[in-house]
Amino acid sequence: MKSLCNGYRIAISIVTLGILAGFPAMAHHSGVAYFDLEVEIIQHDATVVEYVLVNPHGRLTYTFTDEAGVQQEWTGELASSNNLRRLGLGGEILKPGDKLKTVTGSPARSGTNFMRLSRVDFENGDVAQLVGPNAGITRSGE
Amino acid sequence: MFSKKIVLAFTLILFAGGASAQGDFEGIWTADHPPRMGQPDPTTVKMTPAGLAEFEAFTPEKDTQLRCLMPGIPLGLIDPYPIEIVYQEHQILILYEHFHQVRRIFMDGRTAPDHWQPSLGGYSTGKWDGDTLVITTTHLSPDNNTWTAGYPFSGDESAYVVERWSRDGDELNLVGEVHDSANYEEPYVVNGHWTFAPDGEIWEYECIPEYADVK
Repeated sequence: MKSLCNGYRIAISIVTLGILAGFPAMAHHSGVAYFDLEVEIIQHDATVVEYVLVNPHGRLTYTFTDEAGVQQEWTGELASSNNLRRLGLGGEILKPGDKLKTVTGSPARSGTNFMRLSRVDFENGDVAQLVGPNAGITRSGE
Repeated sequence: MFSKKIVLAFTLILFAGGASAQGDFEGIWTADHPPRMGQPDPTTVKMTPAGLAEFEAFTPEKDTQLRCLMPGIPLGLIDPYPIEIVYQEHQILILYEHFHQVRRIFMDGRTAPDHWQPSLGGYSTGKWDGDTLVITTTHLSPDNNTWTAGYPFSGDESAYVVERWSRDGDELNLVGEVHDSANYEEPYVVNGHWTFAPDGEIWEYECIPEYADVK
């Protein structure tokens, strides 16, 4: 794990490279032109601001406090509304104020607070896998 | 010796069997594409110098889908959404959930009229090669791409796409060749795969431009 000066941890994950290289059906756009898929960001203890299900891409906006103690607001790009709903990731799974244990994704090449989300871990132990052949939601205890 | 009636019946059975050699692709199919969304291994794509320059200059704004425009052909050959195929007397319709795209594949031998303008969807004609449907699409727009990773498409008058669709049980396969000599030294080949879904659904696909861009 490597910490950056702006406070979030980055884990360069070979596993992530493998998953994203596999380019699951859920992720239509190849992403490599827009996101740095060789980098994985894991953000901790986030609070949902907004979860918007639309096409072509849904969006999850959330806040968290970085290692420097600064509150940051980020937006994660998701798959389309149609595909998220088919995977059981409809709008009812996230509401403003919900707490998230971790939010994982690859940063936008633009350098903004925007990334392609790959995984969301809920406080209750549920996991939403957003890319890969096992995309979907896994309830804690399953 | 055989009666005329028996010979006639045998002949009818023989030709009926021949007619059923056309593939039966009607119905709803769910996307189940190979890795890389059926796109070729990037290391195998041989681009011309002009194609490589376009590839390196690609920005998200050049992706029609991120402007809420339908992908058309070749960009829309493969997507992760269901399709529905309908046969009509003179054409085969491919109805895509993605952007509600409608493709008309003319099967009656017609050719594009002189007034036909280049468009995202182009002009498609088809024929049967046994039970394989062969589609040729011309009159394609230069405002398109070959794939979202930035692979360009020139839309030159000489550019065209050939698709070969075949069915194996409940599996529908596509081999698509993008012929674009301005950008590629060899045809860019994609492989699509769908699974028959008789209870499948085609949902509405609205696109909200405010959520289409990449920040």
